[in-house]
Amino acid sequence: MEIKKFHSIKHTDKETLAQWYRLLTLGRRLDDRAPNYLKQALGWSYHAPYAGHDGIQLAIGQVFEKSKDHLFPYYRDMLTALSAGMTAEEIILNGISKATDPSSGGRHMSNHFAKPEWNIHNVSSCTGNHASQAAGVGRAFRRYNHEGVVISSQGESSVSEGYVYEAINGATTEKLPVIFVFQDNGFGISVPKKDQTANRKVADNFSGFKNLEIIHCNGKDVFDSMNAMQTAKEYVKTSGLPVIVQANCVRIHSHSNSDRHELYRDDAERNYVLEYDPLGKYRRMLLRYERFTEAELEAIENEVKDIVKAAHKAALAAPNPDPASIFDFVLPEAYAASKYPEGIHSHQGESKRLIDALNETLKAEFRHNPDTFIWGQDMAHKEKGGIFNVSKGLQKEFGKDRVFNAPIAEDYIVATANGMSRFDEKIRIVIEGAEFADYFWPAMEQFVDSTHDYWRSNGKFVPNMTIRLASGGYIGGGLYHSQSIEGSLATFPGTRIVYPSFADDAAGLLRTSIRSKGITVFMEPKALYNAPEASTPIPDDFEVPFGKARIRRQGRDLSMITYGNTTHLCLRAAEQLEKETGASIEVLDIRSILPLDKEAILASVRKTSRALVVHEDKVFGGFGGELAAMITEEAFEALDAPVRRVGSTFTPVGFNRILEAAVLPNVERIYMAAKELLAY
Amino acid sequence: MKKTAIVFSFHTNKTRKIAEKIREEFGKASIDMVNAEEITPKQFLSYDNLILGASTWFDGELPNFWDEFVPAMEDLDMKGKTVAIFGNGDQKEYPDNFVDAIGILADLLESRGASIVGMTPLTGYTFTRSRAQRGDRFAGLPLDWENQPRQNSPRVKAWVEQLKKELP
Repeated sequence: MEIKKFHSIKHTDKETLAQWYRLLTLGRRLDDRAPNYLKQALGWSYHAPYAGHDGIQLAIGQVFEKSKDHLFPYYRDMLTALSAGMTAEEIILNGISKATDPSSGGRHMSNHFAKPEWNIHNVSSCTGNHASQAAGVGRAFRRYNHEGVVISSQGESSVSEGYVYEAINGATTEKLPVIFVFQDNGFGISVPKKDQTANRKVADNFSGFKNLEIIHCNGKDVFDSMNAMQTAKEYVKTSGLPVIVQANCVRIHSHSNSDRHELYRDDAERNYVLEYDPLGKYRRMLLRYERFTEAELEAIENEVKDIVKAAHKAALAAPNPDPASIFDFVLPEAYAASKYPEGIHSHQGESKRLIDALNETLKAEFRHNPDTFIWGQDMAHKEKGGIFNVSKGLQKEFGKDRVFNAPIAEDYIVATANGMSRFDEKIRIVIEGAEFADYFWPAMEQFVDSTHDYWRSNGKFVPNMTIRLASGGYIGGGLYHSQSIEGSLATFPGTRIVYPSFADDAAGLLRTSIRSKGITVFMEPKALYNAPEASTPIPDDFEVPFGKARIRRQGRDLSMITYGNTTHLCLRAAEQLEKETGASIEVLDIRSILPLDKEAILASVRKTSRALVVHEDKVFGGFGGELAAMITEEAFEALDAPVRRVGSTFTPVGFNRILEAAVLPNVERIYMAAKELLAY
Repeated sequence: MKKTAIVFSFHTNKTRKIAEKIREEFGKASIDMVNAEEITPKQFLSYDNLILGASTWFDGELPNFWDEFVPAMEDLDMKGKTVAIFGNGDQKEYPDNFVDAIGILADLLESRGASIVGMTPLTGYTFTRSRAQRGDRFAGLPLDWENQPRQNSPRVKAWVEQLKKELP
């Protein structure tokens, strides 16, 4: 795509040229001084110098309009942040991780500049992964007819990541107003770009994409960069289609202050890039074309020195983060669910299947809140509604803008939920995170990133999403349709995880999840979708608070602590035990893994003095380890026997029904373990 | 031959060697050596024939000193001027942008009215794309110090013989 000429050394007005010189000089002064903070043990232990990217970073910031646009800078975007309006003091506050750092209050790594209140987003260090979050914001722009563009910035090496493909594939398919900027300095830390991809200009890898324009510019040159970004923005605004801007830059210094580029770049190469110092070039041109005198430039330079001096002083005096604050902003407050404070009802009516409970609750919530959306694979095509038809009829009732398919790209599915949430906190998103929980792994980096968002942004942003995952086995599904992944997901602070085993709890927990801020992983025991034993009557307004276990069977002699598919196996084993031995077994369905109803678990164990932890996941490494440890730590004195666990063997789940049965827990194993425990 | 200058950066090494070789090959003809880093529009226009030395930097860019002179060149009236361009490139490592700088300067100066001479055949080079390519010829003389250093001398000799005929 041809770059239009909006600016040139001869024709751009003097005031603009001066402002650019001020920003360029200010940025460079901060960039050059950043390592001093580390040398003086004041912080900024991670600093990725931007010198050599001056033109494009100035341009990104200049075209960004904080009232309309959203910006996703990456960790080298110091000048971008300044040019977008952040102050020198804010940059230093981030650098030395102060409590008043607008990016994260000192929580996120230094050199990750952000100002969420201006929609300059706080992003992860997982380089380039915000490209698909940017697509998510673009989707929100479309849905809400918002005028503006989303700018996503990253280094050229991070384009090697598969999720960048997903982002650009998604943005071009959905026709989203996103400018993807690749700042190409030739290296990914020490790896030269020839080891990243075959094209030296990685943007050209996308040349076959429909609905995509590619602009190449000289990222070292202020005018070419300004013209390229303005051309891109104008095009995106008029066409509504995405653009890639590839800016050729140089990296004058090492990747960061933990890198020594002299170990892999020879003198000639380093001198070569130094020769093309963008700031030096701009300064020479201002003089050569007689736009400024030496004295005028020196006056700006002196002004900048004073700005940095004052910023330095103010930042040093700023407060450090309070260690007691570490528990702030792990999770936002959940929907109160006050109608049924214990998440229990006495409704007597027609029993509904678990799948119908989910379907009807989704529909009810979509009627209740017009700012709800759902997408996923197989979500909506004719009569199909989700891989198991859980969402059947949703698109018909709520339309394609709110209910739609996603490409087979789990990372993109989660990332766009994260991104769309950034547009407005009123938005609530439900996603089928994957066809099966087993396929959620490609989305893990977005999941982890999303669990960090609330904490990392110091409470300024949280994605509001319910991630539905059809989970578990007992369907003859083999290795990739049987996995239980809740134990792995539970290792991440910043998410809730619920796992109902009955229709009413499924409805109540789904309602609470959708109405809550933050992330809830909603595990669906797919073997129970149509199971008569999981069917229950459900009040229309049922809601279940998070962190409330439910006693599904009262008992005195032993507590079975369980969730999901194994709740039903436990109930059957308990019945059998009582019939055969007279033992009184309590079955406690925890329903909610994060947060955990410790109180209910401990109360049950203290009552029965024996605990059998049962879940479908592997015993080794499963969430039951946490339950057993917690019981042992907090109720040891009440126990008459060691805590025992029943779950899957430490193997994958075999496809042949004989193998599956050998792996997954069953009534007999639970029965035997309980019997032994009773006899201890 | 009319008033002629070889314009190149005096800070360069390889380009300087080629510039000196070109002047040597021209023999007794009077040719000025002009530093591209300090050239002014007035000085540029004072010559009838301009032999420009421009290596390709990075992935298809002009060297900064030429790039900084581009805004001036964009306004020059080059009618009646004859321009020949030589430049270094690396056809193995940068096959997609081989000697782009020659093409960038040729396009610009031609658009200002200059006549481009000293075009050379593509034969003997292996590359994928070049902004200097015009049909089956380059818009100047490519030299490849990295991969074909021994061909520099014969290529320069042949080019100067060609220029002797083509420069007014």
